[in-house]
Amino acid sequence: MAFNRRQFIAGSSALAGASAAASMLPQPAFAQSEDMLKIAFAARGNRTLDPAKSIQGADNWAIVHIHDTLVNSPNGRFATKPSEFVPQLAESWTMSPDAKTWKFKLRQGVQFHKGYGEVTADDVVFTIDRLRDPKQAGSSKVLYQNVAGVTADDKYTATITLKQPDPLLLSGVIQDYSCVILSKKAVTEKGANYQRDPVGTGAYQFVSLDPDPSKGIMMTANPNYFGGAPNIKNLNVQYILDTTARTLALLNGDVHMIEGVRAPGWVPSMQKKSPNLKFDVAAPGSLFTLTFNLKRKPLDDLRVRQAFAYAIDRDVIAKAMAPISRRTYGLNPPGFPGGYTADQVPADLRYPFDPDKAKKLLADAGFANGLTIDCFTSQREDYSSVMLIVQELMRNVGVNLNMQVIDHTTFHANDAKDMNALPQNSSAYPPVPTLPLSDNLSKFAEVKSDGTGGANYSHYGVVMPGIDDLIAKAYAEPDFDKRIAIVQQAEQQVMRDLPTIPISTNGYLIVRDPKVDLGYQVQSGYAYWRLDKAKFVA
Amino acid sequence: MLRTIAARILDAIPTLFLVLTLVFVTMRLLPGDPAIAVLGENATFQELQLFRHKVGLDLPIWLQYLDFLRDSLTFSFGNSFTSNFPVSQLIALNLPYTIELTVAATIIGTALAIPVGVLAAVRHGEAPDVISRIFSLLGYAVPDFFLAAIMLIVFALTLKWFPITGGGSGLIDVLWHLVLPATALGLIKAAFMSRLTRSSVLEVMGKDYVRTARAKGARERRVIYRHALRNALLPVVTGLSLSILSTLSGSVAIELIFNRPGVGAMLINAIETRDYPTIQAGIVVFALFVVVVNLLMDIAYTVVDPRIGAGS
Repeated sequence: MAFNRRQFIAGSSALAGASAAASMLPQPAFAQSEDMLKIAFAARGNRTLDPAKSIQGADNWAIVHIHDTLVNSPNGRFATKPSEFVPQLAESWTMSPDAKTWKFKLRQGVQFHKGYGEVTADDVVFTIDRLRDPKQAGSSKVLYQNVAGVTADDKYTATITLKQPDPLLLSGVIQDYSCVILSKKAVTEKGANYQRDPVGTGAYQFVSLDPDPSKGIMMTANPNYFGGAPNIKNLNVQYILDTTARTLALLNGDVHMIEGVRAPGWVPSMQKKSPNLKFDVAAPGSLFTLTFNLKRKPLDDLRVRQAFAYAIDRDVIAKAMAPISRRTYGLNPPGFPGGYTADQVPADLRYPFDPDKAKKLLADAGFANGLTIDCFTSQREDYSSVMLIVQELMRNVGVNLNMQVIDHTTFHANDAKDMNALPQNSSAYPPVPTLPLSDNLSKFAEVKSDGTGGANYSHYGVVMPGIDDLIAKAYAEPDFDKRIAIVQQAEQQVMRDLPTIPISTNGYLIVRDPKVDLGYQVQSGYAYWRLDKAKFVA
Repeated sequence: MLRTIAARILDAIPTLFLVLTLVFVTMRLLPGDPAIAVLGENATFQELQLFRHKVGLDLPIWLQYLDFLRDSLTFSFGNSFTSNFPVSQLIALNLPYTIELTVAATIIGTALAIPVGVLAAVRHGEAPDVISRIFSLLGYAVPDFFLAAIMLIVFALTLKWFPITGGGSGLIDVLWHLVLPATALGLIKAAFMSRLTRSSVLEVMGKDYVRTARAKGARERRVIYRHALRNALLPVVTGLSLSILSTLSGSVAIELIFNRPGVGAMLINAIETRDYPTIQAGIVVFALFVVVVNLLMDIAYTVVDPRIGAGS
């Protein structure tokens, strides 16, 4: 069969036109006026809106607006004392004297969106049981390991019983985004599709999820919200991975808020470009620690570890990453219960910046002529920015960090197999002071080369005595103040043994158009905050 | 012609099989753990194992390979590891954007390249030829993502003529969103294609039939476009197919910078998160695209030069 030229041109044009037209089907238009607050995050697209499975910060912003927790911290900051928590779906709660039984009394008459009925204790039981279900792979299951059971005492009362005392249950578990209360009816009905069509009680209800990341998630105000209907009628979460595109979208007025870049110099350059922009930083954000693999020589030598501590100028690192970064002294940052400030650290454990002392310690350890250590770090900006500064600082004292910068997924997979001499961790924690200790330094969390272990990359508690007795004592202590005192003891031992050096915190940064007034100031908290009180100002 | 098409399809089968095997092996060799990528670094070992069991990553490798081949050949790629969305739907959502970008960039590139190439050939050695050479050199030297960023800053941010991000909705809006990314890609393609057109036309301009056409009194425009260019198109068609394929792969950076949906960006994201089903599907789509484009070009050859079709 032969084509002639005209047939070929006609056919090709039709094919090209059909292909192009197929993607141009009209889609629902959404208001572009000032009744929509648009916020863009550094992600390629939505992963899930199921709170039990979400690990992407951008998605969590939508989750916490569509759903509610039982209680929450006040807007703009972490609650650091039990008395500071704010009622949400629970109007009141009690803790037993042994801190193992928590009873939550629900607000009456709170309705799920789209006609899915009233919130009852059965929904609380369903939500928490779902998070604990051993047959479900979830992202936050570790948070619920201490939950022995949850029951509905009556329609509006739910009781959570714990295996061990936890006076900080509200901080570490209840206010977490994973613990937003789901509608049993909606989840059961929608099944796997729930993650793309969620139903909650939140200030905003889900409207649509567009595969175009620039459209992202559309939500509209819940007029019957128990906390008062939001000021801004619509909320749009967009995904703009590329930093340039995201920054330009803000500067061009396409979006009102963007996730900032945690790299040296970015904030000053933005401030210079547009002095009126607002920079909201939720401290402490991620806690960055540099850990020593105590199974690798010469990192098992305390003098070498102390040399690192004296050689790394943590104030310089915090300054380089300002305003998002702050110096930290212990695993718990200043401002957290049990966290140390500069003047609280014992004088012999302060490790002030002193390269000469670092060189002397290395010489005492037999490395007067220097030392090379192979290691790797993640290309993610909060890791690589800090480690490149550390590399330079260590070079000044004769320690050559032969450092590979690798992709983030490989970085974590390799760390989980005990492949790094100098593992690093940049994780965010709620103000629960035992968590960073048990997650990172307990012998029960020791990393294993087959990947079956936890996040104790130092092998502290195994290679050398650790703080497991103190951790166990802290977890068994129901009294909040006494628990903090034990944690501080453990922190001091860590400062003495140096299995890990806390470097800095990297706060979570959102850059905001000045015409958006959040209704409060952001000081601390998770890497998301509520926008239901936000409004546009002149 | 049908025999040619059938032969091309049969030729493609072993190639596809090789590509699929290479993809499977590469993904398994790539460091990184899909379970950690999906569940996060705080997930317990038991949760990670549960996930691996759920998606079949704990099966013997040969069984995983057979399952992978079967899924690829039946176009049933399962669900994305990260979003749990059916991969076929992900492809269906993203592919039109990539196709429209590729088509638009090719049209712009070709529409610019052919006249520029012809002018450079006809006026070779003169100012138009020199300018086209500079244009081509710049096109080779400047990366498409750099050009895209510059165009964003100038035409979107400063002049506010075009949007910064997104794919648009509705015909006019989609076209409006397409202008900058397609132009950025198209300009780079035009640089390559214009040199090819110039060389091809220059070679043909010296032929006897061109001299004969002039001697017969044909207008110069007719000589160039009806006689010279028509016979110079074969290498240009070859270059066009290569250009389309490189536009397809080059669309990744453009999709990221302009925040457009598309198979390229979907694939990059899937590789970063070790989303095996999505990676597999994306590679299969690209491989099929290569086969289809090559087939279309083979057909185009027979249209441009009927002697090729008759010879087959």
